[in-house]
Amino acid sequence: MTPMNSALAHINPSLKLSTHLVIMILLMMTSDPRTTCLLWLLAVSTGIVFGGWRLHYLVKRLLPYLLFFVLTFWMLAAFGKGETLLWQWGWFHITQEGIQHGLTIAMRMYAFVTYSLLFTSTTDVSEFIMSLIHQCHLSPKWAYGLLAGLRFVPLFQSELQQMKAAHKIRGFQRKNWREAFIRYTLPLLTQGIRRAERVAIAMEARGFTGSKTRTYYATPQIKKKDYSYSAILLLFTLIIQLLSWQLHWLTWSWQ
Amino acid sequence: MDRISVTQKNIPPHLGCKNLSVWFPEQVDATLQNVTLSIAKGEKVLFLGPSGCGKSTLLSVLSGLIPKHIDADVKGTVYGAEQCGVMFQDPDTQFCMLRVDEEIAFSLENRAIPRQRMDDLIHEVKETVGLDIPGHTMIQSLSGGMKQRLALACLLALEPDALFFDEPTAQLDPAGQQEVFQCLHDYSVKSDKTFIFIEHRLDGLIEWMDKVFLFDASGSLVAAGNPKDILTTYESAIDKAGIWKPQLFPATWNDVVAQEHHPISLRLTQAVHHCAHNAPSTPGPTPLFEVTDLELGYGDSPIMREISFTIEQGEWVTIIGKNGSGKSTLLKALARLTKGKAEHLTFMGKELNRWSEKQLYERLGFVFQNPEWQFVTQTVYDEIAFAGKLRDWPAAKLKKTTERLLKTFHLEQVANQHPFTLSQGQKRRLSVATMLLLDQQALLLDEPTFGQDARTTAELMKKLKERKQRGTAIIMVTHDMNSVSYYAERVLLLAGGHLQFNGRPHDLFSNTHLCAQYDIIPPLGYPLIQARKTRADNQEEQGGNRAHDSHEFSFSTH
Repeated sequence: MTPMNSALAHINPSLKLSTHLVIMILLMMTSDPRTTCLLWLLAVSTGIVFGGWRLHYLVKRLLPYLLFFVLTFWMLAAFGKGETLLWQWGWFHITQEGIQHGLTIAMRMYAFVTYSLLFTSTTDVSEFIMSLIHQCHLSPKWAYGLLAGLRFVPLFQSELQQMKAAHKIRGFQRKNWREAFIRYTLPLLTQGIRRAERVAIAMEARGFTGSKTRTYYATPQIKKKDYSYSAILLLFTLIIQLLSWQLHWLTWSWQ
Repeated sequence: MDRISVTQKNIPPHLGCKNLSVWFPEQVDATLQNVTLSIAKGEKVLFLGPSGCGKSTLLSVLSGLIPKHIDADVKGTVYGAEQCGVMFQDPDTQFCMLRVDEEIAFSLENRAIPRQRMDDLIHEVKETVGLDIPGHTMIQSLSGGMKQRLALACLLALEPDALFFDEPTAQLDPAGQQEVFQCLHDYSVKSDKTFIFIEHRLDGLIEWMDKVFLFDASGSLVAAGNPKDILTTYESAIDKAGIWKPQLFPATWNDVVAQEHHPISLRLTQAVHHCAHNAPSTPGPTPLFEVTDLELGYGDSPIMREISFTIEQGEWVTIIGKNGSGKSTLLKALARLTKGKAEHLTFMGKELNRWSEKQLYERLGFVFQNPEWQFVTQTVYDEIAFAGKLRDWPAAKLKKTTERLLKTFHLEQVANQHPFTLSQGQKRRLSVATMLLLDQQALLLDEPTFGQDARTTAELMKKLKERKQRGTAIIMVTHDMNSVSYYAERVLLLAGGHLQFNGRPHDLFSNTHLCAQYDIIPPLGYPLIQARKTRADNQEEQGGNRAHDSHEFSFSTH
């Protein structure tokens, strides 16, 4: 079982995304590391149970962010403000509030990454865009344009690499980042515009007008199982919040 | 008689134009001038002309892209078809979906075909074009030839009266080219639709065209008629314009095989003779490159392993193989642009990794597939002088060398222009010229003649040959077997992650077994000699009973 053919891959993309966004908003409102950690664990277990995540996949995808986690935590914990001083040396000024704050922010960031991954690793791009047309009433003009554009992202990457290699051979040394930016973006952009123009002409030549008077090959719908996924995930979120409220852990960001 | 012609004049043609001129915004000269032509229903026609003559513009006008989707001023009368389909040259920029079925369905969706009819229609067009793959296959995983098959399926889903093809095989390798022409020919036999072609390489196409329209560089129609007449009557004009000529047509394969003194036969056998007597370079004291047990690739699955070969100083070596066989990766490894695993690679007797960047690229130049990538300055002059300026050459020496290169590569006229504003051929020449200022010992080129017209290709090869005679080694990745047989002293064949052949081009092309195994289409002279031999054997055996050579070569003539 891979993420792309897991149970989660068959959930309507728009509903899946909105459910995850609701939880992410809730995460922003919560300023307690323990609750945040529980919400993060919820994402990980959803991924393992429904999303076809395997251990090595988790390690490969989430471990790189651990460095950010540690950095964020350290920055906020070591230099943060607070009343209850635990340890002080030089510029380092470690307080209980600082640690609390650092843990929350780092944990929140980690949970954001995990919920995003839960969506992207189990969602097919074209299905997502079709779902945006049908569930979110995105205009076909934008939706198909977006789909056509997405195909070129890998091309951009390989072109940038080729160009860097070419400049290396020529011995071209850029003086600063601004010059480098112009040097690389100009050819990439001209190439990109030319390509976009060609795609647009090809699409129009095949009778694409961007209007809504068209039929659809794939029409994603919201079914009972989609609602159940959303309901179960939100229910668990509610349980976690209630639990931490009961244990007097829960504090809100504005408190 | 008179009455008939009068009636014909009054009926508008199926497709055509009368006194048509086209101007693009911000251009003074008309791209097309006063063109009048008509195409009958079901005709298969070819527009022929030098690059930039406006044939593409004419195709866009007839197919309705101009002025509906592309901005231009049009004067004159246009008779367009009701529903058209256009196939473009770049397989990647004519799709907008990710999977095969979705892409065909896109055509149907635009026509507002009800969903329940779509599956049958998709199945039908896929069968027509011979696209026998699952519908959820990702388009990006298809070969170039398959992509163009898919493009045809998408056009047929529009149910057009006329099909337009704007260089449909220009971006494909020879095997893909053959595949697409064969597919189009098969379809044309069973279809009554009108076909209008613009094409670069004519072998495999011109044989089944009904009519050819010939244009000159200024965008005027020079002549129209059947392919044979046009190609014979206007041969010198076609040569002068730098248009690729078919290798055989109007002669046929059987004629050439039968007549030993046929001019084409003489030319082809001479080319084989030339290739057979192309003496290999004698090994010098230190080889230029020495590669032992090279392994290339990412992660656990190397795309290439156990690659060992040497390249002598001043040698001309070509690397061939199918798309995706790793030719370009190997070439890049020689220039240290990709790092290999367990690499044992020496350049001029010193391990490649030990060279400093500056010293290495003083001795070794690399020409990329897309010339634009390697331009770093604002004018053509600076572009060539760049490497010298970087090394603080004295002004007089820099000026002299730069001017000499500008002259050799015919770029003096455009010396003050921005490199991006040059024509395709000029850009290609400039990209080679920039790599020669330092008198590099080795020049590595990644498909430098790909998509270039006959004249640019010939000029470029001539320049490289001159360079080789002055001692520069040429190492080139290419699909063009004629240039391999004519110029190369050695050929390296990559397939299945291994080096399958390392030797003289003549030995490779003479080995029919090896060529068949790796889908190599040798220059025409080789099958010609082979066919003659079989023919002679048959005659001997059957005492003059003339066995016919089948038509199997009619499409393998690239």
